[in-house]
Amino acid sequence: MGTRRYIVGKVLQAALTLAFVMVFNFFLFRIIPGDPAALLLRGTSAFNPENVAEVRAELGLDEPLPQQFLTYITDMATLNFGESFYLRGAPVSEVIADRIWPTVLLLGTSAIASAAIGLIIGIHAGWRHGSRFDVGSLSFTLFVYAMPEFWFGILVLMAFAGGVGPFPAIFPTGGYETPGADLTGWAHVADVLNHMFLPFMVLTVSYLGEYALIMRNSLIDVMNDDFVQTARAKGIREKQVLWGHVVPNALLPTITLTLLSLGFIFGGAITIEYVFSWPGLGLLTVQAIDTKDFALLQGLFLLFSAAVIFANLIADIGYSYLDPRVRAA
Amino acid sequence: MRRVTRIRLGAAMLLVAAVASVSLVQAALAQDQTGSEPDEKVVFTWGDTSEPTSLNPMAGYTALDFYFWTPSYHLLIDFDENFGAEPGLATEVVTSEDNMTFTYTIRDDLVWSDGVPVTAEDVAYTLNLYKDNNAYLPQNYLTLIDGDVRLLDETHIQFDSVGPTGLYNGDAPYMYDYILPKHVFEQVEAGNCPDGTDPCRPKLFENVPNVGSGPFIIEEYVVGQFVRMVRNPEWAGSEPQVDEIIYRIYRNDDALSQALQQGEIDFAYIDTPNVYNSLIDAPNIGTLVASIPSFSEIGMNTGSAYQEAEGSFVPHGDGHPALTDVTVRRAIRMAINSEELNERVMLGYGLPGDTIIPPVSLAGARYEPSGEDLIAWDLGGAAQLLEEAGYTDTDGDGVREMPAGSLEPGRPLELRYHVRTTEQTSVDAAPFVSEWLDQIGIATEVIAVTGGRLGDIINAGEYDLFSWGWYPDPDPDSALSWFKCDQRPPDGAAYGNNDSYYCNPEYDRLYLEQQLALDPDARWEVVHEMQRIYYEDAAYAVMWYDPYFQAYRSDRFTGFNPQPPPNGDLLEGWGGVSDVWLTLRPVGADEGGGGSSAEARGISPLVWAVIAGVVVIGGGVLIMRRRRVRDEDV
Repeated sequence: MGTRRYIVGKVLQAALTLAFVMVFNFFLFRIIPGDPAALLLRGTSAFNPENVAEVRAELGLDEPLPQQFLTYITDMATLNFGESFYLRGAPVSEVIADRIWPTVLLLGTSAIASAAIGLIIGIHAGWRHGSRFDVGSLSFTLFVYAMPEFWFGILVLMAFAGGVGPFPAIFPTGGYETPGADLTGWAHVADVLNHMFLPFMVLTVSYLGEYALIMRNSLIDVMNDDFVQTARAKGIREKQVLWGHVVPNALLPTITLTLLSLGFIFGGAITIEYVFSWPGLGLLTVQAIDTKDFALLQGLFLLFSAAVIFANLIADIGYSYLDPRVRAA
Repeated sequence: MRRVTRIRLGAAMLLVAAVASVSLVQAALAQDQTGSEPDEKVVFTWGDTSEPTSLNPMAGYTALDFYFWTPSYHLLIDFDENFGAEPGLATEVVTSEDNMTFTYTIRDDLVWSDGVPVTAEDVAYTLNLYKDNNAYLPQNYLTLIDGDVRLLDETHIQFDSVGPTGLYNGDAPYMYDYILPKHVFEQVEAGNCPDGTDPCRPKLFENVPNVGSGPFIIEEYVVGQFVRMVRNPEWAGSEPQVDEIIYRIYRNDDALSQALQQGEIDFAYIDTPNVYNSLIDAPNIGTLVASIPSFSEIGMNTGSAYQEAEGSFVPHGDGHPALTDVTVRRAIRMAINSEELNERVMLGYGLPGDTIIPPVSLAGARYEPSGEDLIAWDLGGAAQLLEEAGYTDTDGDGVREMPAGSLEPGRPLELRYHVRTTEQTSVDAAPFVSEWLDQIGIATEVIAVTGGRLGDIINAGEYDLFSWGWYPDPDPDSALSWFKCDQRPPDGAAYGNNDSYYCNPEYDRLYLEQQLALDPDARWEVVHEMQRIYYEDAAYAVMWYDPYFQAYRSDRFTGFNPQPPPNGDLLEGWGGVSDVWLTLRPVGADEGGGGSSAEARGISPLVWAVIAGVVVIGGGVLIMRRRRVRDEDV
């Protein structure tokens, strides 16, 4: 199969998947029982039939389902994601745009850091498997892999924001920045970094385990391949065998994992955003589910799906370049 | 040749990294120096775990939203600290002899924050705006007004009521309607929102920044993060001693508690008793448990599936038929020990519950059951009630069955009991309630769901018991209105306030009677009777009246104003321009010292710059080393 044909096929496949997700999104949220209009006014003196009817009309929920679907498809085609139900009238695209940066900043940097640290640990552990470092790092990575992020987050929050025992209370307890401090320039950047550090640390530690484990196992597999023996037989130094021959081949399985992880960045990290009050897309999703904000949920899920589909597409294409056998299959 | 090029490239990279690092350090040093200047601003920062629903009084409806309106808008008749009436924007109310026409005199000494004078025109316009647009909360207090509110002149407005009533004569702060600037909302009605809200309609208008008549105005709202209020430059009343009020949104009580202890915030409302307890002995932290108008209840499905169709209501759901019998409901009420629930679940901080009007309400509004009216905790008595009504355990499995002649003879008293995962105390109460009911021969299946899901279940009538709560107004009118027949969820899908499906025509008649009562004492008599009926019919078993946990930095701020005193809401959440925003001041402010400002915590910009430099240089070195190893391959 030619490279161009392969890529076109993959792109078409991705576009079809995205179209399916768009249709699925519409029906998925509407099978949730209950009336979002009524939910908006629940438990308050604001409830009366006129108000509920008015809100339903404003949200377009008084139209027949086929009509709603047509409006939805037309809107999606014109990249109009509608208005948030809960954040009355705010355009969904703006609501999401406000939260994308904090999410990408936190999840993106921690994904890169966890991948880098995890891969390095995995490489060294795999290369010296059976050694003390391997046993120690294996225990550590298994522990952090299995550790609930939420629990770890609370401990870190108490230790480094609250200051328990010998731990100094250095960092802010939550949020993205210090409101009212009127910081600008590098001082503002440092303020954001201070707010980001603890959730970043928790996410990095929590996710490096899977990278380390996959890299270690992949490396051990590759180390027994014939070409590695050939390289050694040629008298190449061990470090060169590792970095020049073993690592590039062992990296292949981690590429999919890394790229898919990057795709999931947009989904946010709900539990960590909750613990550290980080205003990201994860918390926004929880809020949208709680309030049955169909418009916002549709926008968010489309974004999440598109990000994963795109990352998958890049992984497929990238893989085909790194391993031409994939194209031939 | 190739190798030489790479070495040059590596050296260039290191040079760039070094230059970038030095630049960052220089920038950080400059910022450190400017940042070290003392910030003179006095900022009061408070926190909670909720998001405002809207900062526009047309559309907001949660208790939290009011904290952004009390510093910014006036009411016609204000709440005093004891929920009594005190002059607000209106200085005088003249009532006609037939108690159907009301003339309000409006203050003429106030100016909106944009320099436009506040006049009676604003008042008439606002009240009509609320009426005509079904403003979520405000229109509730205007339902008895017949026709439009009329503007008489620059300082007088007038309106008629549909019947004689004592609610608008200024004796009580009934009209909970914040007065808005006409010149702003007229534009909004015309589709030109000053803040650029699009689409622009009165209830969609974000109202940020706002134009207010109080000492503070809303300057900034970042969804999910904070709301910032600043001084109103046109405010001519007593000068506030705080420059800014910032509300910060946290997502959990642990973070909120840590933020308070570390000085990121100066005041916090806490939800959970355990977190509150952890703050009691913390240094520099003051704590207060407030009593506010609020209660938590076990609601019972009094017959959503068995009641007759009426108006928009059609029977729906599958509630247990035994709960249509008031004897069974009274037995359940009798088996629930409110005092123990308060002690064990609320750690003694709440008050044992009975009727639907909490102890903290307008003076005289509450009915306290006593003597024969009191349904005291009595497991033996509850079992006896059931026994005498024919609910006996015929098969000896410990669960009673419905008697012959009932809706479903022989059906065991096995009830679904829904609790909310989103409210820990709701979950915590379940084992106690289940155990007590078990002891009187009623089995329960505890089902934990989110608040949103439980709302759907209630609307569908597919429950037997549920646990939830309310925050009523200080005036009992709204709380009493929730349990009228026309407030039942109508059709299995749509929402209704009357979540126990209670329907009693006598109760509905009394509701109207209390609205039209002229004399406060006569009104309270009717209000008491309504509470007695609802209590005796046991559609709700009120478990407790909720505490309001408050904690603050005692080393930073003083001048809180509990409403009602001495153990009320320290930030005086009910009313128009609350006094607390004028009395709140930094500790030591009288001596020219003290104060609090929004200070950033964490590592200094300089250290971050150094870290960034180390990471860049370290990364560069690492990459170079790896390349060198690879290049040495033969």
